[in-house]
Amino acid sequence: MMNDFVRIEKISKIFTPAKGVAVAALQDIDLTIAQHDLVVLNGPSGSGKTTLLNIIGGLDEPTQGQVSLAGQRLTGMGEKEWSETRRDHIGFVFQAYNLLPVLSARENIEYIMRLQNRTSAECAARSLEVARKLGIEAVLDALPHELSGGQQQRVAVARAVASKPRLILADEPTANLDSKNGNDLMEMMQRLNEDEGVTIIFSSHDPMVINTAKRSIVLHDGRVVEG
Amino acid sequence: MFLRYGLKNILAAKKRTGVTLLLSICTTALLVFSTGFLQGSHMQMLKNGVEIYPGYLQISHRGYRQEPGLDHLIFGVDGVMGQLTDPEILIAARRFETFVLYNGEQKSVGGMFTGIEPEKEESISRLAQSLKEGVYLKKTDTNTVYMGYELARRLAVQVGDEVTFVGTGADYSFAADRLVVGGLFRTGLFDFDSQSAFVTLAYFNEIMAAENMATHIIVQPAHVEVAQSLSDRINIVLDDEYRSESWQETMAPLVKAMKVDSIFNYITLGIIFIVIFFVIMIYTFLTVYSRTREIGVLRAIGSTPNQVLALLLSESVILAGVSVVVGGIIGGALTYYFWQNPIMIGGYEEQFKLYGLAASAMPTLFSPYLILRDMGIMFLLCVGSTLYPIIKVNSLKPLEAIHHV
Repeated sequence: MMNDFVRIEKISKIFTPAKGVAVAALQDIDLTIAQHDLVVLNGPSGSGKTTLLNIIGGLDEPTQGQVSLAGQRLTGMGEKEWSETRRDHIGFVFQAYNLLPVLSARENIEYIMRLQNRTSAECAARSLEVARKLGIEAVLDALPHELSGGQQQRVAVARAVASKPRLILADEPTANLDSKNGNDLMEMMQRLNEDEGVTIIFSSHDPMVINTAKRSIVLHDGRVVEG
Repeated sequence: MFLRYGLKNILAAKKRTGVTLLLSICTTALLVFSTGFLQGSHMQMLKNGVEIYPGYLQISHRGYRQEPGLDHLIFGVDGVMGQLTDPEILIAARRFETFVLYNGEQKSVGGMFTGIEPEKEESISRLAQSLKEGVYLKKTDTNTVYMGYELARRLAVQVGDEVTFVGTGADYSFAADRLVVGGLFRTGLFDFDSQSAFVTLAYFNEIMAAENMATHIIVQPAHVEVAQSLSDRINIVLDDEYRSESWQETMAPLVKAMKVDSIFNYITLGIIFIVIFFVIMIYTFLTVYSRTREIGVLRAIGSTPNQVLALLLSESVILAGVSVVVGGIIGGALTYYFWQNPIMIGGYEEQFKLYGLAASAMPTLFSPYLILRDMGIMFLLCVGSTLYPIIKVNSLKPLEAIHHV
């Protein structure tokens, strides 16, 4: 079971536009990802990295095939079940940070925990703990637009991690950061992977991210070519 | 949590909040005031139409309204009066109406000749209050006539002058006498003022051989709202040949006119509300659509569709609640002010008379129930207009919402 924490079976995704030719973004993907792993989905633009990440997180539906998380089949679940699964088990880090603009950094970090009905004291303690690990405890009361890009991405990571999900999906997390901030972020993600035991899957073609990962899966034209 | 988050969103979007609040507050105030004005003008119509002379409740012979005449009188009126013991009856007064020919020194004019109980009429009608010249009738008066101002003008007589009348007594005998004009009244209702004259019932009974007879008994209920139910109860105790009718029946044309007026007013208000409903809806569409990405993120990080719905609705409810309360207070204050200080509309008296309005003062009706009802309507309208945009945006898949441009 440990080796099959995330199981992807025969996943295909075909985009059929209203006008034009259907495009196969993913074709017959078979993958398993072990618990506590730090995996990067690597490949050129259009290779299907983000699509695969979105399908694993339930943001997109495969045309065929199925995804399981810790033995539980996720494909085919309704919107509510997917929302609850993401709330309790999957953390997302987006390329564009996607923080909630009217909430402070602290409130952004606490948001998912609040959805989980955790107490205020628990939320406060956990958000401070994570903020310290990510070096953002000084900006907890700032609004997103008052933060730098690097700080915003750390808040986004803190939000994804704070609720203690079993899986974090990070879509090109360093794409909008300079090399120093990108390096710092990857070091923190690596530490979280070790300290919190959380499984992390990145999509990226950034060599620094690829070098940080424990395992690299290479996609090309919607197929796994390596890893 | 959603309430606090919603509040933050509202405070952050100052322009959107300001426009939405302004629109909703003005609409609520308008609705509250319009209703107060509409109901107030109807109450005024009713008061004028009913209280000037006809009264809230009339008892007459069953055939009298279809064929007014001496064959359809209330015979043994004292006995009928004795049956009127309902505790909701404030006062009951007898009237005897007939038509006679009045003769002044220069002119003769036909008109209504009515015997009344002057002291009771003071509580039932506005005859006494409508005094223009001279004095109102006293119980002990004999051949003193209290005449409509326009009728006196047509007869070319003034207070103190003499007029004679010729008519038919209750027993179909010839009746005539000389009257002295004691007072002139002007209610504002032209037809009434140009045809009516009153004497005391005692004198009338004697001169018209109408002892223990009447054409009507007018009943004043303790509360005007109970007129219909009181009328129904009186009908149970009355002999079959007599019937009691409330003002809704005796003044059916006025009731219809008020209903038609209400319908047109509500149609006008309805059009305004439809426009406002769509303005708020379009505005909400724009503002909610501008937050589509945020909504997608909320869904992606674990909020269920219902939780997002709750968040957006909480914003809508807060805005609607604030605007309805503020608008209700403003509208209520205006209604209260014009209830105490009626709007004076001068120069339209003649047109008003066509609708039974004898005064140019238009008080609003201040009713907490109506104000709360209108506030409730506006609350539902404000929240309802945001439902479609909210549901529409919330129905997007998280990924569609995040990538929405």
